[in-house]
Amino acid sequence: MAENEETEQSLHATHVLEYPFRRSLGPILEKFFTGLAERRFIGSRADDGRVLVPPAEFDPVTAARLGEDRLIEVGPAGIVTTWTWVGKPTAKHPLDRPFAWALILLDGADAPFLHAVDAGGESAMRTGLRVQPRWVEVPQGSIRDVCWFEKED
Amino acid sequence: MAELCGIVGIGQTKLAAKRVDVSMPGLVREAADRALLDAGLGWADIDAVVVGKAPDTFEGCMLPELYLADSLGAPGKPLLRVHTAGSVGGSTAIVAASLIQAGIHDRVLTVAYEKQSESNAMWGLTISAPFGVAVVAGAGGFFAPLVRGYIRRSGAPADVGIRVAVKDRLNALKNPYAHLHLKDISHEMVEQSPMLWDPIRLLEACPSSDGACAMVLAREDLAQRAPTPPAWIHATAMRSEPTMFAGRDAINPEAGKMAARDLYAKAGITNPRREIDCAEIYVPFSWFEPMWMENLGFAEEGAGWRMTLEGATALDGDLPVNMSGGVLSSNPIGASGMLRFAEAAMQVRKQAGEHQIEGARRALGHAYGGGSQYFSMWIVGSEKP
Repeated sequence: MAENEETEQSLHATHVLEYPFRRSLGPILEKFFTGLAERRFIGSRADDGRVLVPPAEFDPVTAARLGEDRLIEVGPAGIVTTWTWVGKPTAKHPLDRPFAWALILLDGADAPFLHAVDAGGESAMRTGLRVQPRWVEVPQGSIRDVCWFEKED
Repeated sequence: MAELCGIVGIGQTKLAAKRVDVSMPGLVREAADRALLDAGLGWADIDAVVVGKAPDTFEGCMLPELYLADSLGAPGKPLLRVHTAGSVGGSTAIVAASLIQAGIHDRVLTVAYEKQSESNAMWGLTISAPFGVAVVAGAGGFFAPLVRGYIRRSGAPADVGIRVAVKDRLNALKNPYAHLHLKDISHEMVEQSPMLWDPIRLLEACPSSDGACAMVLAREDLAQRAPTPPAWIHATAMRSEPTMFAGRDAINPEAGKMAARDLYAKAGITNPRREIDCAEIYVPFSWFEPMWMENLGFAEEGAGWRMTLEGATALDGDLPVNMSGGVLSSNPIGASGMLRFAEAAMQVRKQAGEHQIEGARRALGHAYGGGSQYFSMWIVGSEKP
């Protein structure tokens, strides 16, 4: 206890480190993000036949370069493979009401990816739930073009 | 007794101001693919991957070694990242070589890169921490006083730096991978370029480049079967010292002299100027050529500038230096050290094209980093040591 008090009183300062970095996406990931701007999900077929979303530039098993001929459209609906419930969202969360973080396997894909699910309530959330994306009004080529996923119509 | 290690594959990207056509993984992959092609090998032949680059703050990519794992065929293999500031490309190659020399792996892929167009080295090097003062001057501002100190101590004529700048840019015209191809380069052009950090002019400084370099290293028996004869590693050395301490000679740092002595002793070299055929050394600002000639023991202290003035370091001199055009013509920071090491290996493999030195049998590759405080170097030869 005494030690903690001493730490509190010692001289300290905040160190903020920020810089507006840039990234070039290259020919493959560029297709994924331009796809989102058209409300489409683009994946790629790996050497072992699996469809990965987002698409991989290089095969995770054989290390081969996966070209544009491997790109394939998937979704837009999919199925929840596992999830966790966020009962008290903070300001940084995509929803202001309780929601789930879920791994979603889009139709036609073999690997799931993470996104939010607005299920309405924890009791309505389950593995195996069919979900569809809710898009922002004007998609711009960002993962945030998908507001969240919700129960399929 | 350590295992012998040979360089069996070398690859580099075109070095350029901006490579917006590729992602970071795509950039390193380009160099790695070329190294594997040169070695006549595939991804399954590689046992481990060693990658190097400058600080993470440059591109803001934390743990780049993990981000690059797929593109470098590393899943399921040991993947190491090395970091020693600007010398990192050299020390990365040395760490990779040590995995072969220690008998741990048979074939190792080593890669170094920088994507300066998506980075800001000036910002990354001058982060202002609480309670301290940031020296917002970048590398040029840090090194300019050392260059001035060298000129005063050695009594070198004022235009030695200009001569180095012209020579290296002329060499770069013979290297298709070089970033700067200044066809009209001349003494006047360098002399009239803006003074950036007195006494360093714009054209006496390196450019800011995107690029990657890769090498495949192999154990003796495997290296012997390479489609192109390997460059054999005769000796490697690394030394470091703090940026600042009382009594430090930052102009002619002790760590560099120690590394050179260690290197020559391991390679059995007693007269480096006579016994080494060419040297590719880390010269980001022109005056560092004469400074490192002294630090590396090619010239007596205070006499390095005479080698430049007499043309000894030109392509037709008795010790050609920076045949590729050097850092003055291309500077993808993290890759720059490895490019020096790779050029030395290309020379003894007779792969240097128009900038090939006839009869190069033993070559030195050198890199330094930080505030002239990390040194890495190797000697490679066409014959086994």
